Amino acid sequence: MRAGYPAVVIALYLGIAAPAFAHHAFSAEFDANKPIQLRGTVAKVEWINPHTWIHIDVKAPDGTITRWMIEGGTPNTLLRRGLTRASLPEGTEILVDGYRAKNGTNRANGRDLTFADGRRLFVGSSGIGAPRDGRDPTEK
Amino acid sequence: MNHRFLSVPTIAIAGLVAALATAPLTAQSGGNYKTPRTPWGDPDLQGTYSNRTITPFERAADVKGREFFTREEAAALEQRAQQQNGDEGRNKGTRGDVERAYNDFWWDRGTSVTSLRTSLVIDPPDGRVPPQTQAAKLRAAEEGKRPAYRGGGAAGGRGTDSWLDRSTFERCITRGMPGAMSPSAYNNNYRITQSPGYVAIEIEMLGGTRVIPTDGRKHVSTSIRNWMGDSVGRWDGDTLVVDTTNFTDKVLYRGAAENLHLVERFTRVAPDRIDYRVTIEDPTTFTRPWTLAIPFVVTGEGIFEYACHEGNYGMEGILSGAREEERAALKGKR
Repeated sequence: MRAGYPAVVIALYLGIAAPAFAHHAFSAEFDANKPIQLRGTVAKVEWINPHTWIHIDVKAPDGTITRWMIEGGTPNTLLRRGLTRASLPEGTEILVDGYRAKNGTNRANGRDLTFADGRRLFVGSSGIGAPRDGRDPTEK
Repeated sequence: MNHRFLSVPTIAIAGLVAALATAPLTAQSGGNYKTPRTPWGDPDLQGTYSNRTITPFERAADVKGREFFTREEAAALEQRAQQQNGDEGRNKGTRGDVERAYNDFWWDRGTSVTSLRTSLVIDPPDGRVPPQTQAAKLRAAEEGKRPAYRGGGAAGGRGTDSWLDRSTFERCITRGMPGAMSPSAYNNNYRITQSPGYVAIEIEMLGGTRVIPTDGRKHVSTSIRNWMGDSVGRWDGDTLVVDTTNFTDKVLYRGAAENLHLVERFTRVAPDRIDYRVTIEDPTTFTRPWTLAIPFVVTGEGIFEYACHEGNYGMEGILSGAREEERAALKGKR
C-alpha cells in the first residue's frame, strides 16, 4: 500500500479536533477490515514511548494460550491522569476491542479496553470532560 | 462551560466578551499585569505550559469575517469537541476509526478553546493561510522526486518501502518548526527555563530542547542547516523575540522547508499565560508572511521524557504490514 490519507483528509474527518491523530499512521499498521475482540489476562505492561504495549494471554476453548500485544497511547498522558503500570497488575482479566495488525502477528491496537466486570478501562469519562457513552455501568 | 456566566445581563456579556477577546492585547500594551523579572532583570517566562486547544487552525466559513467567537459559540464548540472525542464521532470498521487509535483517555488534545479567537491564524486578517506561490505549486508537483520523509507529518510519509519513506515525526526525529511549537493530540507540554543570556524551551513531544541565546549574537553561517533551524533571541520590552533561519530541506511545513524564516514572540500576559505568536515567512512558498497566535497556558505540572525511539514498534508494524499486503496481492493475482 502506498501512502496514508493526506493529513488534510484526516483533519476533515475529525472536524474541529484537527490535530488529533497519533504520532504514527495507525491505519498503516492496523487493518480496519480486521476488527478483533480478545479476552485475556495481563501478562506484562511495556510502559514505553511512543506507545504503551499491554501483553495479554488469551486462552482458546481447547486450553491453549496465545500471547497478544495490544498497543495503547503514550504513558505520559496516563501518568498525568494518575495511572502507572501498577494500575494494570499481572493477571487482571481484560477485554480488548480493537483492530488486528496488518502483518498478521498477534498484535492489535486497543481501541477499547474493558475489565471483566464491564467497567471500561482508561475511558475518559471522569474529570477530563469526555462524554458518558453508557458503556461503563458505573456511569449514571 | 460557565453556566453562571450565561445568567448575567446581555450587556455585561458583550462587555466581558470584548474584554476577554482583547485581554492579551491590553496586557501587551501595558495593562494591569506587570511581567515579573528574573533576578538578573530579564522578563521572566519560566514555567511549564501546555498549548493544547480546540481553536481551529484556520477560520471556518461559518464565522467568515469574524475574529472572535461569542461565548455561546465557544461553549458549543467545546461541547462538540467532547462529543467527537467520544464514540459518537467514530464509525467502527473504518480507516478513520483505526486512525483515531484508542479511546479518549489516552489523548490530551483538550476539549476547550484557550481564547475566543476563531482561528489560530491571526494574519492575514481573514484567518486563512495565504495561497502558495506559483513556484511552490511547481515544486509540489515535483515532490515525488524528493525524499519521501519530507512530507506527511503524523499521517505518515509517501510510501512503505523503507523507514526512509516515513515522516520524520513517525521516525521520532522531529516535527520541525513551527510544528514543534504547535499543538498536537497529546504531549502538548513545554518547559521554559532561563539563565543570563539564554532561554531554553524543552518540548515534550519527541523530546528535545531549544536553546536560544539572547546575547546579541548573529545567526550561524548559512551553510549550517539544522532540523529546528538556528534561533537567536532578543528582548523587546517584555517580549522575547526569536528569529529562526537555517532550516534543512528535510522537513516540509505546508510546502516550505529550507527557506523558512520564523519570528516568534513570547509575551507573558498573565501569571498563567504566555501570548505566543509566530510569523512564518518564505517568499519562495507563501504569497505573503502569515502569523499564528497560540496561547501557552501554565499547567503547574512537570513534563515527562518521551523516549520515542525506545519502543517504536509502530515503524516495524507499518513496514511489515505493507509487506504482508504485497504478499496477499501477489497471491490474489496467481
